[in-house]
Amino acid sequence: MTAVAPSRPGLAMEATGLFGVYAHVPFCLSRCHYCDFVTYTGMEGLRRPYAAALLAEAELAVAATGPEPSTVTSVFIGGGTPTLLPAGDLGRLLERLRELLPFAPDVEVTVEANPETVDQAVADGLVEAGVTRVSLGAQSFDEGVLAALGRTHGPARVGQAVAALRRAGVEALNLDLIFGCPSEDDASWADSLAAAVALGPDHLSAYALTIEAATRFGRMVADGRMAEPDEDLLADRYETACAVLAASGWRHYEVSNWARDPVLAGAPHRRGALPSRASRHNLTYWRRGPYLGLGAGAHEFTGGVRRWNGPGVPAYLAALAAGRRPTAGEERLDGEQAAFELLALRLRTADGLDQAEAERLGIDPTGAPVAELRRAGLLAPGPGVALTERGMFLHGEVVARLAA
Amino acid sequence: MDLARLRNFCIIAHIDHGKSTLADRLLDLTHAVSERQMRDQYLDKMELERERGITIKANAVRLAYQAGDGLDYVLNLIDTPGHVDFTYEVSRALAACEGAVLLVDAVQGIEAQTLANLYLALEADLAIIPVINKIDLPAAQPERVAREISQVLGVATSEMLPVSAKTGQGVPELLEAIVQRVPPPKGDLDAPARALVFDSLYDSYRGVITYVRMVDGRLARRERVLMMVAGGTSEAEEVGVFAPEAVTTDELAAGEVGYLIPGVKDVRQAKVGDTVTGAARPAAEPLPGYREPRPMVYSGLYPIEGDDFPDLRDALDRLRLNDAALVYEPETSAALGFGFRCGFLGLLHMDIVRERLEREFDLALITTAPNVAYRVTMVTGETIMVSNPSELPDQNLIDRIEEPFVAGMVLCPADYIGAVMELCQGRRGVLDTMEYLSEERVELRYQLPLAEIIFDFFDQLKSRTRGYASLDYEPSGYREASLVKVDVLLQGEPVDAFSAIVHKDKAYAYGRAMVTRLRRLIPRQLYEVAIQAAIGSRVIARETISPRRKDVLAKCYGGDVTRKRKLLERQKEGKRRMKQIGRVEVPQEAFVAALRTDDSETR
Repeated sequence: MTAVAPSRPGLAMEATGLFGVYAHVPFCLSRCHYCDFVTYTGMEGLRRPYAAALLAEAELAVAATGPEPSTVTSVFIGGGTPTLLPAGDLGRLLERLRELLPFAPDVEVTVEANPETVDQAVADGLVEAGVTRVSLGAQSFDEGVLAALGRTHGPARVGQAVAALRRAGVEALNLDLIFGCPSEDDASWADSLAAAVALGPDHLSAYALTIEAATRFGRMVADGRMAEPDEDLLADRYETACAVLAASGWRHYEVSNWARDPVLAGAPHRRGALPSRASRHNLTYWRRGPYLGLGAGAHEFTGGVRRWNGPGVPAYLAALAAGRRPTAGEERLDGEQAAFELLALRLRTADGLDQAEAERLGIDPTGAPVAELRRAGLLAPGPGVALTERGMFLHGEVVARLAA
Repeated sequence: MDLARLRNFCIIAHIDHGKSTLADRLLDLTHAVSERQMRDQYLDKMELERERGITIKANAVRLAYQAGDGLDYVLNLIDTPGHVDFTYEVSRALAACEGAVLLVDAVQGIEAQTLANLYLALEADLAIIPVINKIDLPAAQPERVAREISQVLGVATSEMLPVSAKTGQGVPELLEAIVQRVPPPKGDLDAPARALVFDSLYDSYRGVITYVRMVDGRLARRERVLMMVAGGTSEAEEVGVFAPEAVTTDELAAGEVGYLIPGVKDVRQAKVGDTVTGAARPAAEPLPGYREPRPMVYSGLYPIEGDDFPDLRDALDRLRLNDAALVYEPETSAALGFGFRCGFLGLLHMDIVRERLEREFDLALITTAPNVAYRVTMVTGETIMVSNPSELPDQNLIDRIEEPFVAGMVLCPADYIGAVMELCQGRRGVLDTMEYLSEERVELRYQLPLAEIIFDFFDQLKSRTRGYASLDYEPSGYREASLVKVDVLLQGEPVDAFSAIVHKDKAYAYGRAMVTRLRRLIPRQLYEVAIQAAIGSRVIARETISPRRKDVLAKCYGGDVTRKRKLLERQKEGKRRMKQIGRVEVPQEAFVAALRTDDSETR
């Protein structure tokens, strides 16, 4: 692959018009069996100091971006379980960000929540704090599957949380689902999809179960007490999701993400056009746009540099008490790495690369590798380079072929 | 030197029966090595040998010994290799001696290789001193072992010496026995010089160093010498003896054992078995028994990285300086690229060469399955030799195929006769004779196809007899057999590296095993992949790899793009290391694993 132009300094690296802020809240009530994110159970006494430290880190992070910061188009408060922090703390964090940075009028402000933590008071508090979008970790609507995943909520709890959030007036709702879990079968997966659709969310994420070493599932697989999810089974479930959601009018706009498009509802499906309810924050990642990363284990991408914080909460608090960010690592990509990364990220979304972008990355949309991938049904026809639904589930193979 | 005070002897022993330890004790007792210099297994010079615990290169040491009669003697200990691959080298080392110490482990008893080498020694008319070693071990059964030796040699058990090379017990008596029982060398000091080359190695500073036994006459430093078989003349840069380090002398005379540096750069100019004579007054005839090194086993060696081909060629050229038995010629494989078809004395020789290439020259190699050379008579009457299975001509053009056979000797406890017979028959063996060495131990002689021996026969023999059986063999000519070539095809494309010539009764099993194995080793691809085994155009086994359906990483959690990119970069690099067979991508590791012969499933 030929290299792209060297990274320009400044935030608008890929001229995406996007600028996000990610803040991580690493607290959970219990540990799910599949989760290898930076999360901790307990640590009740550290939650308030942590919320305060996020404000301090925001100041340091913004100061480092230069005198004229870009306009924030999205904020994402993820976890962990952010709703374990009092709504007031989340409100103060958003308030401080607004003081430090210009916010777009239509800024998307997402908070992740586990259903069992959302009652009416919490829902009202979130909207009051300026949250526009809530992402609920539903994962499944099957009692047995939820138990197998180590989730503490029951299926009915999701509907209650959705109702509370709707009553509070939250603009957009996402439900996360996981497929390929132990004790799931074809029927329970189809039922979960139907139950999720029936709750009328604006956005759905459906992730194939991935076994990570440092999880309970990882240990079970290592000990032979559990099998790795079978490739064909995962592909079957994925195809079910594609079919069920397409039939209900959902747009499959990224490998694991579907959104509704009220604006285009009823219009014929046009490949590549992203739905209006797509997650703007996640699009920032996939388009290789800039974002600040605050909190333990958070990643940040600004000015051609990727950097990340260490995972420990006490170390995080100590660093900010000392007036610095707990940077654990950073990398500057060379031209080839940056081009490869852009290719890999951009192909995740249905719009893919247009002809000019593809050529800029050294990929000839009429060349033999693209033609072969089109014949195999992994790349969509058209002037640019974009994955089909089947191609999305083989994203790694396609990227490796195009870049090899 | 007075020939009457000279004794030339060797030690015949099986691996692990204590030869190196006994040699160490002999060095101790004759003060050949100071304590400071002494290290275990002193004579096994090469690093590789020390690790494997076996001796590959023969070696010779001069020991000064004052015997019980008060006289000073010179004892030349000539070390011999202990593996079937090097039988010819053993025979030359034996030809340099008048006597042999037959060293047998008091626990294990006599083994096939020992017996084979003992027969060689008897043919060479050597005086045999039977020695029973490891008598200090609790499990030692010296009486039983003595009966076995007695049966083989026809000597009284009272002539056998019990020793412990480890503790030194019995070793002084052995030194006395060597003086008394091994005859002094004969030789005509005034005749034209003749020296037997019983080993030859390459030293990067000195060039070729030959180990020689002077049979007749004398050879002096600075004398012009002639290699009677190779035909070259050169100046003897140096002559000397090993005591055990090299000590220069003015000359070597009939009866003596030592080294001669002939001033040549390639061991093929001074091969084992050649005769050195003086160029000024050459001998009329070379010493009898010379034989060209004869490759028995062939294999393709390919660099994993195609760019390493020139390095592999240089490395083989370097190794050949020190290994007259190594033969190779370039060949091209559609699957593996540029490499060499190499001929070896046997499997151990092959392993040693491969290990040296990987270790000393830092090369990563793919080795094709070892095979023998077939003699193919075409319908036209023309005869060709085929050492690469993929080059076997079309069946219609072939009148008959002959394969090399060996005369195999298996020694095993009587309890395992059934197991050994079953194995040998399964490998198309024909029983020649069966003989009891004692009530407990049996010698079985079989005619066996060499091709069957080189596929894990030895491992099977060991596992079916709990390690108690031992094997030796020697070539016994070519025999016609019903042989077919089995090809392995990926998506209809034959993969030359996987072709094999097998007996028709085993073709199906081989084909099935290969396609099953490849199905496990080749990752799922974009398309369905058919793996077939075929004889000519007839498919005998098939497996299918269904297309890949999932290959995507989970979400970028918390914006961690770095981890994802690194995983994808690794995948991209992995693609670059794939071999492309038609549309099928085959990982290098799949070739390496598919061509391994150390598990039995392909047979």
